[in-house]
Amino acid sequence: MERLRRDFSTITLVMIPVAIAINIAIGQLVYTLKVPLYLDSIGTIFVAAVAGPFAGMLTGALTNLVWGLSGINSFYTAFWITGAIIGLVAGLFSRFGWFKVWWRAIIAGVITGLIAAMVSAPILTYVNGGVTGSGTDVITAVFRNAGLGILPSAFAQGVSSDPLDKAISFFIVWGVIRALPLRFLDRFSRAEDIR
Amino acid sequence: MSTSFSLYIPRESGMHRLHPLTKLALVAFCLVLGLFLPGVWLTYLVFLLIIVPLAAWAGVLPPFLRAAFKTALPVVISVFLVQGLFWPGGTPILHLGPLSLKQEGLQFAIRSAGRFITVVSSFLLLTFTTRPDGLMLALSQRGFPNSIAYIMLATMQIVPRFQAKANTILDAQRSRGLETEGNLLVRLRALLPLVQPLLLGSIVDIEERAIALEVRAFGRQGPKTSLLVLRDTPAQRVLRWLLLLGMLAVIGWRLYLAIAPRLAA
Repeated sequence: MERLRRDFSTITLVMIPVAIAINIAIGQLVYTLKVPLYLDSIGTIFVAAVAGPFAGMLTGALTNLVWGLSGINSFYTAFWITGAIIGLVAGLFSRFGWFKVWWRAIIAGVITGLIAAMVSAPILTYVNGGVTGSGTDVITAVFRNAGLGILPSAFAQGVSSDPLDKAISFFIVWGVIRALPLRFLDRFSRAEDIR
Repeated sequence: MSTSFSLYIPRESGMHRLHPLTKLALVAFCLVLGLFLPGVWLTYLVFLLIIVPLAAWAGVLPPFLRAAFKTALPVVISVFLVQGLFWPGGTPILHLGPLSLKQEGLQFAIRSAGRFITVVSSFLLLTFTTRPDGLMLALSQRGFPNSIAYIMLATMQIVPRFQAKANTILDAQRSRGLETEGNLLVRLRALLPLVQPLLLGSIVDIEERAIALEVRAFGRQGPKTSLLVLRDTPAQRVLRWLLLLGMLAVIGWRLYLAIAPRLAA
């Protein structure tokens, strides 16, 4: 309980809306650049790194809920579980010091991406009929044609994009942490895990 | 709307005047119907007979349908193409060159499309008819943590400012000669000089905001007063309980359909 209260200090509560806004603004910026990535969880990963897995979970879940319920991207609402899991996993990696070295951050990102694909696939299968409505559905079609089930095909589609996306996101967060002054990072509850 | 990040449309309708929790219960009921109704066609009835009339009652039908159409169309098209044409080992009913439409795939696509349309339009119905601050106030009054309400509302105010900032950075870097168009490698390389200033600038800002909130007793426990007053009626309270019972009944029906054949066997 005490740990939780320290994780959710005022500075974390102020950071979370900014982190969600970062997720959304960069997500849309990347979309306008037409790069085949999402980069819509950089804020979530940052909060998870500096304030722990619970704050990360909340940031991830609320990103999807706010983005979804704003009506801009209602598709995203059902994937709040994926957002929460990304925050949780990133927070656990931070707990064990994986944000201290750049290549460890990248490995952590790849693993988080695999987990994210695993969590998204059942939601995608049940709510969306196994497709995303974007270009990566070609991969789903190839796997379906090869005789794979709907769930494995949806998972294969996720594996084709999520690990790379999360590896880049984790690397960016590692860079941001290096660039921020220590005095600022020290205001967060998990600062000792990332220095 | 430029000041707020939401498709909410203010109207003087009966739907808009409902207590936010009643609207939340209505939308949750439609969601449960969309997710748990058995069969292929029932979800389309939910959309046509419940969601569309409610949107019409709220006076937001044209923009609501436009938003629902825009969100659902790519997924609906894709589900028919991917699952309809590439269903492994299905019964072909229509030949299209080297591909053929499979009966099983078509049926799956119709069922999935109905479910997706119902889920997306339920969320959109809440968005179009419910003020975010009213919903958060209603939830806080029922014991929902104030800090989460703060996060949701603050985010909705920050996002438009951030998007403006992102565009400013994009323009600034372009005017310095940064290539943002061209092949994939060029666009990927453009990412870092765009993302980095946005991230660092916005993260450093928050310290001042935290201090400002702390001196205004943000972290204090106990009840807080609100400028917004919500109206509730006994009829709406009854309706919410009925909707809750309805949701449980639909989930129970679906569970029964799943378990009954196994019990009989």
